[in-house]
Amino acid sequence: MTWRVGVDSGGTFTDICLFDDQTGRLEVWKVASTPSDPSEGIALGVEQGVANVGSDAEAIGYLGHGTTVATNALIELKGAKTGLIVTDGFRDLLELGRQKRPSLYDMTVDKPPELVRRNLRLEVRERVRFDGSVEIELDEQGVRLAVEKLREADVGAVAVCFLYAFLNTKHEATALRILKEELPDVSVSVSHEVAPEFREFERLSTTVANAYLSPIMQRYIGRLERRLTDFGLKTAPHMTQSNGGVVSFEAAAKLPVRALLSGPSTGVVAAQAIGQAAGFDNLITFDVGGTSSDVALLTQGVCSVSGEADVHGYPIKAPMLDIHTVGAGGGSIATVDSGGLLKVGPRSAGADPGPACYGLGNTEPTVTDANIVLQTLNPVEILGGRMKVRRDLALASIEKLAEGLGLGTMEAAQGIISVLTANMAKAIRVISVQRGYDPRDYALMAFGGAGPLHAARLARELDIKTVIVPLAPGILCAMGLLLTDLRADFATTRLLTLEPSSLPAVREGYGALQSQAQTWFDIEGISPSRRRITRTVDMRYQGQNYELQVHLPDGPIDEASMAALAAGFADAHQQRYGFTADGDAVQIVTLRVEATGIVEKAKLRPAPAAGANADAARQGSRDVHMPGLGGFVSCPIYARDRLKPGNMFEGPAIVEQMDSTTVVLPGMTARVDAYLNIILEG
Amino acid sequence: MRQVDPITVEVIGSALTSIVEEMGEALVRASYSTNIKERRDCSTALFDRKGNTLCQAEHIPMHLGSFIGIIPHIMKRNRLEDIKPGDVFIGNDAYEGGGTHLPDIVLAEPVFFEDEIVGWAVNTAHHADFTDRGSAHIYQEGLRIPPIRLYTKGVLNADIEAMILLNCQVPSERLSDLRAQMSANRLGVRRLQDLCAKYGADQVLSAGDALLDYAERKMRAGIAAVPDGMYRFSDVFDSNVIDRDMTLSVAIEVDGSDMRLAFDAPPQVRAGLNVIYTALLATCYYAVKATIDPTILPNAGLSRPLSVTAPSGSLLNCRHPAAVNGRIATCQRVADIVQGALAKALPGRVPAAGNGACTGAQFTGTYADGSPWVYLETMGGGAGARPMADGLSGVHVHLTNTSNLPVEALELEYPLTLLRYELVNGSGGAGRWRGGMGVRRVYRIEKDCRLSLEGSRISTSPWGLEGGLEGGRSSFVISGGQKPGADTVLLRAGTIVDIATAGGGGFGDPNDRPESAVAKDLLEDRLDVETANAVAGSQQPDRSRA
Repeated sequence: MTWRVGVDSGGTFTDICLFDDQTGRLEVWKVASTPSDPSEGIALGVEQGVANVGSDAEAIGYLGHGTTVATNALIELKGAKTGLIVTDGFRDLLELGRQKRPSLYDMTVDKPPELVRRNLRLEVRERVRFDGSVEIELDEQGVRLAVEKLREADVGAVAVCFLYAFLNTKHEATALRILKEELPDVSVSVSHEVAPEFREFERLSTTVANAYLSPIMQRYIGRLERRLTDFGLKTAPHMTQSNGGVVSFEAAAKLPVRALLSGPSTGVVAAQAIGQAAGFDNLITFDVGGTSSDVALLTQGVCSVSGEADVHGYPIKAPMLDIHTVGAGGGSIATVDSGGLLKVGPRSAGADPGPACYGLGNTEPTVTDANIVLQTLNPVEILGGRMKVRRDLALASIEKLAEGLGLGTMEAAQGIISVLTANMAKAIRVISVQRGYDPRDYALMAFGGAGPLHAARLARELDIKTVIVPLAPGILCAMGLLLTDLRADFATTRLLTLEPSSLPAVREGYGALQSQAQTWFDIEGISPSRRRITRTVDMRYQGQNYELQVHLPDGPIDEASMAALAAGFADAHQQRYGFTADGDAVQIVTLRVEATGIVEKAKLRPAPAAGANADAARQGSRDVHMPGLGGFVSCPIYARDRLKPGNMFEGPAIVEQMDSTTVVLPGMTARVDAYLNIILEG
Repeated sequence: MRQVDPITVEVIGSALTSIVEEMGEALVRASYSTNIKERRDCSTALFDRKGNTLCQAEHIPMHLGSFIGIIPHIMKRNRLEDIKPGDVFIGNDAYEGGGTHLPDIVLAEPVFFEDEIVGWAVNTAHHADFTDRGSAHIYQEGLRIPPIRLYTKGVLNADIEAMILLNCQVPSERLSDLRAQMSANRLGVRRLQDLCAKYGADQVLSAGDALLDYAERKMRAGIAAVPDGMYRFSDVFDSNVIDRDMTLSVAIEVDGSDMRLAFDAPPQVRAGLNVIYTALLATCYYAVKATIDPTILPNAGLSRPLSVTAPSGSLLNCRHPAAVNGRIATCQRVADIVQGALAKALPGRVPAAGNGACTGAQFTGTYADGSPWVYLETMGGGAGARPMADGLSGVHVHLTNTSNLPVEALELEYPLTLLRYELVNGSGGAGRWRGGMGVRRVYRIEKDCRLSLEGSRISTSPWGLEGGLEGGRSSFVISGGQKPGADTVLLRAGTIVDIATAGGGGFGDPNDRPESAVAKDLLEDRLDVETANAVAGSQQPDRSRA
């Protein structure tokens, strides 16, 4: 028997998902996280989880891990004391950034703190020009002097970023050599390795973040590896990256900046696999937690990967699934502002004191309180009976709000849901209509504890016809770890005009990238038959600054490939901006290779149909506020764990399970598919 | 018109915000010129059919001045029934087109729903063109365009376009930026129509009215919290493009939930520093909103409690044919004095003066093939120290918030090399909270070109508050000894141009700054030892209070 194990380590809980390849059995285990040393909770959780299914370490054939260690270190500024070596004249670039003040009107808002203090940002004489030629040779003595200062300051990490290092790596390579000689125990990040792309500030910011996070990530991975070895794990563990793929622990320790979105990315991967099995290729994922929600768009089963994003205020150039986060979730607090309008979030009651209905001291109404009052959530107990709630307290908090709005209590509670839904719809517009995609062509996959509670209304707001609620919405991220391939992305900037004379340079660029990919495949031990390479090119009209990603067909690179790129670019430009500038030169900017090592994944298995009648899953009814029906109406309650494939029922209805509640609105039909997903339509 | 419930208003308000943001993204991404694509010197907005701003994206507050002017000018020149779907108006003129200076070219397209105008999609982009022409009066400053149809019922008026492009120095960039502006408005039109289809035009329009009322209520709530009274402030405005300093004054009267701002200023000048009334309005809306309540929706409702006056024909309310190209420099000082006056009403709520300028360098030359190039950069500086925090360093203040041009993009496109880009040591005014630091950019000229350079706070300093000291001044040094003024200067290859901008004023007594913070400032070269000693020495007795 072989178990595939996914471990998602969050701030409060560590979720362990175990999947038996032979039988398709899926088991879930939860332990409290150990924030001071997360590896402790993980090792314990894996041990208990495996024991719970009557097995042991030997039986684990695969272990995938998603972590928020890097993200938390960045948010809490707990990274290493870091030094920086830059081109003479540019030590303040890290602080100047793109010169934007963070808020146009609010003067109290600060820029994110610089990750390297000004006295540890050291300038060295050297200068490369825009064409890659060297104007001033690197002052090696100057590098050594800088290294001395950094040694005195006792830094734990050093970043090096010179102008144009994406074109000419020579000076950075020399500096790296000197640093390795002089400071062998210090972790060094150089820009041409971390983010070899155009635009110095974004490259610098990424390189610095990588240096800043490296020591903490290396220590964490080292500890976790030891604990897992002690536990007897025989297989090499893997870690997720922001692009949704996994890499070996060794690769993850080298580029921590690529793991900043590893948490939400696995949820998207799980949604992708579940959607594919269930027959939905075009998906919008909707992951709602306590304080924030993540949304992503999958077209033809693929979530686009963006090369750059703002992560907690820091621009990061790394392959990341295009996930958009909005600061609103179940714990978000509702208030009436000075102009008399209702606002929901971004302030959250968190888990402690939590919503008013928890009775732990908070009296401000939250989204959860609105759901308790409307009775879409069980007004007596939640989490499958593990937690009692006080509807009277929720009611009192909403009544106060209703007074301020001049509305009735139920209208105010319903208003909280409507405003929240509008916030979420705005987030989805960012990733769909703003990118040229119509949300009506997509199905909404809802997960996270509160996703299924709000999905039906959100779908109505956006005219989305289908909602999918997977079997285990609360642990989807852990499950995603069992459904993903090994993946690494390689990129290089080459500013070229799209014309036949550029062919040799394009071939050379891809030659280099593909050999990097082959080296990576070798390191990861992926057999040749399981290696996949996808190539894309970032392109724009010459003169523009933002590129569109175009797929480069497989096979030799020739004039036909160039024609395919030209056609692909014109289509993409038309879709995104509504016009093409025929006759204008098209420019190639960045060549990208996505290398995938196909691994055995947990296989979702369909179960046989059990008929349409869902009565066996009925567990009574309660009055639920449905504004479309004029107020409270009696709704049937279904137990999620008793629903069988083929079961069907009509809204209004509520489905309860330990980790989530699904609302089925009037006029909607719910059916359970062969994978035990609930599909809402209408 | 029927009453819309507050929830629907909020829902439609969210949708309007996403529309203007989406328009802004499309404009930046599809454009070709560095000033739009990298520096984001552009703005997008939706207007209701009466010409009120419904929603402006958070880009450049100054651009609101161009927006509020254009619809009334279109309506003055056209009967409503003659405006058809697909008509696109282009305009820039300060006197006949609602603009605030000629490079900000506005495109406005009516949004039709079921054969009726329900609103307007509007955007403006600062076209870095009309360069090296002089600023004695507006006729020197570029092509004046009243709001005319660039498109009629969806068809391009190629003659108009040809005539505009022939008057531009870099027509290829103008054409592509105009195309990006078109694309942004088209999106706005489509999205607003979709919104009307979903909620009904009636409901959307009522929600629009309610959003204006909402912004007004919030502004009134904010003003009502300010003690009634008359608050005065004046400051000297200096600029290297004119040989005299000018005193600008404001008297702000707070009366319940109303606020009257009465300005006084010298007569308009024969330089591009004059401010058209709509630009003055945009400046006041910005400065009051930022002080009173930054969360007020950026729509026309917030202006209702405010009345703004300045003598006609003065620097702050100029008449034809005054030149206006550099109006933002003056407006930055106007924002300073408005906040200075409000600081008296709301002590502890308003920051000290920031760098008070929008230092602008415009390099103009020709490529080897004879075609001209124009590179515009505006440099931020220090922001004023805040009542509870140091000022931000190296940022634009007040009416603009453009990005810089990355070195690697700059040198690729233009024959210039950037030798240094750094914060100016010691430029942040000392105080309990230190003012932000100014910025230095040092260029080396690779091929002969001309430079126009404009700035302020050269002969005056940004003021501190509550005992905080002044911020450092701005300076322009050219290795050939040229003094940049009203005219462009010729720069030979090899010339070094060193531009430093002012820092922000400090807040609170410098002696109250914790020693650890002073030590950190010294370690990081943010403060020089002399200043630190001078401050400590002059105020030694105060130490005993601690």
